[in-house]
Amino acid sequence: MNNRLRVLRAERAWSQQDLAERLEVSRQSVNAIETGRYDPSLPLAFKIADLFGLAIEDIFVNPAKEQDQ
Amino acid sequence: MVSRTAAARRYMRRFVPTMIGYVVLVIGTSLAVSRFHPAGGALVALSILPALPILGMLLVIGLYVREETDEYLRQRLVTAMLFGIGVVLAAATVLGFLQIYRVLGQIDVFWAFPLWCASWGLAQCVLAWRDRAGDAA
Repeated sequence: MNNRLRVLRAERAWSQQDLAERLEVSRQSVNAIETGRYDPSLPLAFKIADLFGLAIEDIFVNPAKEQDQ
Repeated sequence: MVSRTAAARRYMRRFVPTMIGYVVLVIGTSLAVSRFHPAGGALVALSILPALPILGMLLVIGLYVREETDEYLRQRLVTAMLFGIGVVLAAATVLGFLQIYRVLGQIDVFWAFPLWCASWGLAQCVLAWRDRAGDAA
């Protein structure tokens, strides 16, 4: 699933490891989510959204609406 | 286990003594059988003895899958394990038919677990390599 995680992370000058530690997951997880190889569970998606103070749909692109965006 | 999560560290703490137990029991059983030539119930008990740590390993692996809180690593691990199961089932099916038509003789089913482990490990390496390639991209 496409997402803005890399951009949001870069805006805060966080490394993947920094973000991983804040989310309490591995760096591989952050990398897999950023590159769209892995779609996080809802609890993890909410955790990511809470961390950036955004709604889930502001970070992750709804695949059903992807063509519209 | 590439990443050292808390669950992975617990896995290693369980894995090492289980494998040491396996090696000790394999050697011990082999020596006991060759020296004492047991028969009947004693031979059955001795034969099953080295299998117990392998059953323990399945438990250790199951505990790791249950305890790993990193959902991506858990998914990667389970994917690799499923690949291993697929390889074992494919091998069993092909070899089974070869045996039915007498192309092949006896093959010890003992090899199922090592084959599963090797296939699983190979899949883990490929997935880890894919992750590293993703890092570089």
